[in-house]
Amino acid sequence: MFRGVAVAGHSMEPALRDGDWVIVAPLWRPPRRGEIVLARDPRVPERLVLKRVARVEDGRYTLLGDRPDESTDSRTFGPVALSHVVGRAVFRYAPLARARLL
Amino acid sequence: MFLTDLLKPKTVAYAHCDLPCGVYDPEQARIEAESCYKIIEKYHASNDEHFKARAIVIKEERAELAKHHIDVLWSDYFKPEHVQKYPEITELCWKAAKQCSKVKGSLEIGEAKTLLDMIDKIADVWTKAGGPTATRLPKAAAARA
Repeated sequence: MFRGVAVAGHSMEPALRDGDWVIVAPLWRPPRRGEIVLARDPRVPERLVLKRVARVEDGRYTLLGDRPDESTDSRTFGPVALSHVVGRAVFRYAPLARARLL
Repeated sequence: MFLTDLLKPKTVAYAHCDLPCGVYDPEQARIEAESCYKIIEKYHASNDEHFKARAIVIKEERAELAKHHIDVLWSDYFKPEHVQKYPEITELCWKAAKQCSKVKGSLEIGEAKTLLDMIDKIADVWTKAGGPTATRLPKAAAARA
């Protein structure tokens, strides 16, 4: 299912800003390097994070924030299995002035 | 209902930093557990009701702190690859956290000893997983001696 997700934090700036609302699409193909995905934090699976795919190796995804100094990502929780990738952020719908495909 | 309420996401995703300092050591939990052990000893050695009441309060605080430190090791330090290599760590942390609750509510010295042993088992895995070099800063040679 497509779902709306609110962004909390600054690790994905300037691509995604704190408070942006984005549409996350279910995966219809494995994510590729450079795409922004919604994933489960392997340490706390109910915690969802939005990060960019930096590397794909052996079916595991290294996810990094665009701003490393403001990001908790694969450097802390390690590469993430595909089963922990929930979907891909495809469109920002709010704020309207910055609405666009991601 | 306003349109914005309809569009408002029901999910929040984090794009931030939980600022892990990266320092983790089971010794922190052990010191709190040792406090519980000694407090229970002192409790039984005393005839002062006021002292005994204080001992109970402080032991409960220390047991809670030990539990917190174990939780931090489990949720922040141990990574999926550690669990793969040392699968016992899940149960060790889980049981040790539960043992903290037991110590919190008990005045049996044996319960405190059991907790110490459990924390030592966690420390063994932490050491095998490279914890001492990965998470602690080296001490100056003079301080080590």
